[in-house]
Amino acid sequence: MYLVADVDVDVCSSTNCRLCTQYCPESNTILFDTERKSAYIAVDRCKGCEICVGICDAQAKHHAIKMVWITDLDNPFEIRNHGFKNSIVDLIPKTINGNAAK
Amino acid sequence: MSLETIRVSPGFENYLPQEYYDLVRDSQFTKPRKVSEMGSFKEVIEEHPMCAGCAMTLFIRTMYVALPSVENTVFIGTAGCGRLVLTQGAAPFIYGNYGDTNAVASGLKRGLGIRFQDTPKDVIVAAGDGGLADIGFSMVMHSWFRKEKFTTVMLDNEVYGNTGGQESGMTQKGMVLKMAPNGKKFEKMDMIGLAKTAGVAYIARVVPTNPARVASAIQKAVLIAREIGPTYVQAYTSCNIEYAIPTPKVMDDAREVEKARYGFQEYFTDEAKEYWTRIESEKRQVKGPATEEE
Ligand SMILES: Cc1ncc(C[n+]2csc(CCOP(=O)(O)OP(=O)(O)O)c2C)c(N)n1
Ligand code: SF4
Ligand code: SF4
Ligand code: SF4
Repeated sequence: MYLVADVDVDVCSSTNCRLCTQYCPESNTILFDTERKSAYIAVDRCKGCEICVGICDAQAKHHAIKMVWITDLDNPFEIRNHGFKNSIVDLIPKTINGNAAK
Repeated sequence: MSLETIRVSPGFENYLPQEYYDLVRDSQFTKPRKVSEMGSFKEVIEEHPMCAGCAMTLFIRTMYVALPSVENTVFIGTAGCGRLVLTQGAAPFIYGNYGDTNAVASGLKRGLGIRFQDTPKDVIVAAGDGGLADIGFSMVMHSWFRKEKFTTVMLDNEVYGNTGGQESGMTQKGMVLKMAPNGKKFEKMDMIGLAKTAGVAYIARVVPTNPARVASAIQKAVLIAREIGPTYVQAYTSCNIEYAIPTPKVMDDAREVEKARYGFQEYFTDEAKEYWTRIESEKRQVKGPATEEE
């Protein structure tokens, strides 16, 4: 079990910020959902460094990212399953139905 | 043009890995991108074994996004950490023996110039401080004195990260490292000053705290190397392992070091300045390639 970054979509989407996407050392990891206007994480690429948390807390001052146990995520997005996506809205109903793909 | 380099014959599409398909659909191969758009397009770097939170990884990620022409870029690297991610990007990578990078790049750049007379090919050496300031030092200097038209990027983590913490010429005086237990006895080498002496056309010193500035420096370095002469970018890219920086503090460290002793610096020769001013004014008139404004 390990920690990965998780974005609070409600908090993030109320900003127009996109800062963390430029500071994650990993490519294709913090992605930006153009429909929800929020950053989201490809958990299979996240190395758990917490740099994004510091950027969101201290630089953007939005406190939208937390580190969570990967097993606590209901329906984590994995880029290896879906490829690059501009929005993952079409994947969301699964989470609402509790249909967790752990 | 750009996309044509990677587009696949229809019959093969079903056999493409998803990652490749994404590159053809929505990446910097399909149109130039800015760092402010990161997260909204498929980036060309795939999974790699660099340590979590490594500033060098962040720098290389930004450098890739900034490339004026990714399909016409060839990287030369060598032993050291950087090649672990450079090899996982969608631009050709050539492994020069440790120390040989700038000699290999000189020959390559000249050869490419003969083979592709109508298409500029951008050659970029990206290697560690040990690779460039220690063992590769003479080849770096001679490539500069010979005015070879390619870019040298030093990934300056101020240590031999890949081999467990020996001091390099770029380590700060007094620094105690795992394999420098008594502390380094000599000053950090002034590679920026040496580059000036050698007449390098464009020189920049950056820290990855400001992605747009990093991107702008890379673009200047690559475009000036195409036309004018050698360019050099020296980037502070801390090694959080050998310097025992907790990963959530990596950016704090970068900001502190930048403030204390690694502030942004940029030098142009007169010729390079004139060329860059011309590029900028042409860009304002016609919509040229997207370059990062600071
Ligand atoms: C000719 C030669 N000598 C020594 C080595 C062993 N070696 C591999 S990586 C490395 C140090 C790399 O340090 P640096 O260039 O600063 O890059 P970093 O790993 O810090 O990014 C050394 C000495 C080698 N590969 N080839
Ligand atoms: S830094 Fe925070 S608020 Fe800004 S895009 Fe990232 S998660 Fe959203
Ligand atoms: S924890 Fe590190 S690797 Fe994971 S998303 Fe944040 S910055 Fe990227
Ligand atoms: S050893 Fe240091 S420089 Fe190398 S990948 Fe790890 S943190 Fe980065």
